[in-house]
Amino acid sequence: MSIVDLQSWLVEQGIEEELDQLTRHTVRGEIGNLLPEPDTVAPRVDWQRLLLAASVLARSDTRFHQEAALRIATSAVTMSRSAAVIDAGAVLLSKLSNFRAVALAGKRALLADDLDGRLGMSLRIEAQRRQMDQAILVESSGRWLQVNDFQQRFWEKATTNGWISASAPTASGKTFLVLQWLIDQMHDGGKRVAIYLAPTRALVAEIETNLELLLGKPGAIQVSSLPLTEKYDTARAGGSPLILVFTQERLHLLANLVGDDIAIDLLIVDEAHKIGDNQRGVILQDAIERVSRANPALKLVFISPATQNPDELLADAPEGTGTSPVDSDVPTVLQNVIVAEQVPRKPKLWDLSVVKAGGKQSIGTLTLASSPTGPTKKLAFIAAAAGEQGGTLVYANRASDSEEIADLISQLIPASAAVDKELLELADLTRKGVHPQYRLAPLVERGVAFHYGNMPSLIRLEIERLFRAGKIRFLVCTSTLIEGVNLSCRTIVLRGPRKGLGNPMEPHDFWNLAGRAGRWGHEFQGNIICIDPGNSQAWPHGVPARARYPIKRESDAVIETGAGLADYLDRRVSADLSELQEADQYEQVGSYLLTTFLRLGSIAEAGLAKRHDKDLIERLDTSLAAIAAQVEISPEIANRHPGISALGLQRLLDAFRRYEGDPENLLPAPVDSEDSYDRFVTIMRRIDQNMFPAFLPEGLIPLYARIVVQWLKGFSLAMMIRRNIEYHVRNNRAYKLPTLIRQTMEYVEQIARFKAPKYFSAYMDVLHIHLRAIGRDDLVEDGLDIGTQLEFGVSSRTLLSLMELGLSRMSAVALYEKIARDDLDKDQCLAWVADRIDQFAGMDIPAIILREILERLHPDADGQTAPSDS
Amino acid sequence: MPSKPLMIGALEFPSRGDAYAFLKGILARYDVGDRVNAADSAILRDALALHPESTTKIDSGIKSFSVRTADFGTKCFWVNRVDGSTEKFALRACVYGDK
Repeated sequence: MSIVDLQSWLVEQGIEEELDQLTRHTVRGEIGNLLPEPDTVAPRVDWQRLLLAASVLARSDTRFHQEAALRIATSAVTMSRSAAVIDAGAVLLSKLSNFRAVALAGKRALLADDLDGRLGMSLRIEAQRRQMDQAILVESSGRWLQVNDFQQRFWEKATTNGWISASAPTASGKTFLVLQWLIDQMHDGGKRVAIYLAPTRALVAEIETNLELLLGKPGAIQVSSLPLTEKYDTARAGGSPLILVFTQERLHLLANLVGDDIAIDLLIVDEAHKIGDNQRGVILQDAIERVSRANPALKLVFISPATQNPDELLADAPEGTGTSPVDSDVPTVLQNVIVAEQVPRKPKLWDLSVVKAGGKQSIGTLTLASSPTGPTKKLAFIAAAAGEQGGTLVYANRASDSEEIADLISQLIPASAAVDKELLELADLTRKGVHPQYRLAPLVERGVAFHYGNMPSLIRLEIERLFRAGKIRFLVCTSTLIEGVNLSCRTIVLRGPRKGLGNPMEPHDFWNLAGRAGRWGHEFQGNIICIDPGNSQAWPHGVPARARYPIKRESDAVIETGAGLADYLDRRVSADLSELQEADQYEQVGSYLLTTFLRLGSIAEAGLAKRHDKDLIERLDTSLAAIAAQVEISPEIANRHPGISALGLQRLLDAFRRYEGDPENLLPAPVDSEDSYDRFVTIMRRIDQNMFPAFLPEGLIPLYARIVVQWLKGFSLAMMIRRNIEYHVRNNRAYKLPTLIRQTMEYVEQIARFKAPKYFSAYMDVLHIHLRAIGRDDLVEDGLDIGTQLEFGVSSRTLLSLMELGLSRMSAVALYEKIARDDLDKDQCLAWVADRIDQFAGMDIPAIILREILERLHPDADGQTAPSDS
Repeated sequence: MPSKPLMIGALEFPSRGDAYAFLKGILARYDVGDRVNAADSAILRDALALHPESTTKIDSGIKSFSVRTADFGTKCFWVNRVDGSTEKFALRACVYGDK
């Protein structure tokens, strides 16, 4: 029998029954409120036999085998009372390169100190060799870091290749390692500017914070997430090296300010599988290509969760660049997929079973406090009962659901006598920073929270921090978590998860989410509880089997529609924008191809051509040539506005040329002018009619314009919500407070911070072309461009300085309310804070905001938190 | 009864209806948020003088005119005053004297 056959036989027959028993026993320990059953497992385990089997399985490359080995090792450490068995389990964990689990066993006093000292000579030598083999030297700190096989391969390949693409499941320690490697690279002296791209502002904020914590203060390396040129110029001129943490949109903003010769040494693209996302995937691709074109010697690292084909991302590397994928599918923590099914006719009793190959293994019956009626209550009641140990994450399909579920959970858990100070501070921040009746505040005081993408980042980050710290025990969240926030948990509870508007979650998204169950180094296992697995409405395709993301660029997927895209491009030339069907599917990629065509004269010259049929490329070239014949907009200008068609820019230019009024009326009015709001209304309509119907429905344009003006004026979110309520009352319109609060947050994020900067920036670029052409250069201003103003929601120098110093907008606005002058630079802001350091206590600033102000603006501040190591 | 001519500054209109249509024509040329140009502003000054509440509308003095949103999604002229305040006024009131 070969070793491979032996390994397969072991898990399929040899130790199958014992593995089931171990699973049942360990999972029961994880879940609260199970009906009691006698423990018949622990006393009967033949550890010697199982540990021998596990050591055979540990040598396998198959995930299934490694999982079995990990389960035995973990069980030995956590279940056995024999020191020898625990030691053997720990040795096995280190054989699996799972040093964090060994450390956890030590931390929990399961494993006695000085394991090496208790090993026999040969085992000790082997262990020491393994520790040396599985360690890397972080040159920047001079520290040796113990790593797993994936991390070690990443370190080696990233150092020796030009482009690499790393893929590993959630909780493999990717982000932590990549940040260490990035810092190391920036320390070597040769690199001046690096960019870390993350898909969402939430992840940008998290990465920026982690980098700052890893670097410590004061840092020889600068970190910033603002697309401003000052630090970039300093770094390029030989000052402190700079790491910029950006979304793809912010990268384009910086490149627009610096110019197409932007010099970047190193680019890291996190969540790189999102190059396939509808509408934003091509913006990401464009950002990567823009940097790569300007920097042929660029070092480029793609990171993605478990993907099928990480090498796909390397296909467009410049000729002669060394490339390498680094792939891993090794489990780091046990992940138990548990299905919850109601006991017939007994709504308070739910059978729980762990899913295993070819079936399921019963683990017991969960008892609920009340009978759940409807899906929302099922989620809430089961989460509250099963996840009572804390670290419980509940997935909600909509932001409104997340509030409902969190509220229900809060009613089912016992209230603690004294509320933690940090929870009280968070509640205070939400009352003052959002609204006194925002539902989050009373929930947080009971250790329950909800979490969605449009929330102010300061509140969201604090929720995440307190969840990690165990103070928030239940967190109900939406798909923000699969958009790449590194937040792991002990238990995830789901029922019929959807992504976006009603689409059942794809298996790879489900597994990206499920992968967050089990905090590597904090717990030995994680649990994924799927409710009503047999309900075809909730789970149209059943509970998904483990799956990895297929990487496919959005551009490639759309090009493959062939005639669909070509026909759209043909219609785009003449159709009225309001009649243009399928714009959601084709406009972004069509714009990308048109810009490419304008730059190269044919898309056959572009890297993408090699991936598609020659006839199709020719057909697209014909369509694009017909459009290009009508476009005077230069490729340089088109390049500055990814996702916006050069044809749209041209149509706007034509509209400006036809305009008979005073050209001054084409410009946005300053936000303190009485015309500002109405001018934005007209500009949005002009964009909709000529460039692209971005601000729809038309009837909401006045509301959008009001949000934009308030945002630019530096209003706090709380004030914007108050104004929105006043507007409803004044106009006799009914409203529901929770909806109005969520909607205001959504408009800020989606209109003021996403669409308005994107389309207004393009509007201004085209307007400047026109004004120069008609000799009205006097109207072209070189101040802070409107895109950047909108991105940050500032129009005063002081507010921008505060944000440049690292404050969140919420904190900057709160502090700005106390500052009289609107023209302070960064040093003056620092001086203002230093002068009043003793007066802050009396200023009625929420404690969390005050903490941020002191951390960022006062050099002696302390109270920092540890970086996430996921 | 023959219609009565109306003078708006130096401009003479055969009837109030003509004057009103003329002023509405000016309004139509503007988008909301626009500043009114010098030539049209001169006409509006004269028109506003005819408004039954011209004294309170003008108040601290006229700095400029804008076109902005009025009720129910319509647009109208606004007078921007020297003291920074601003108020809308109805062309109909200027021409027909309605309040």
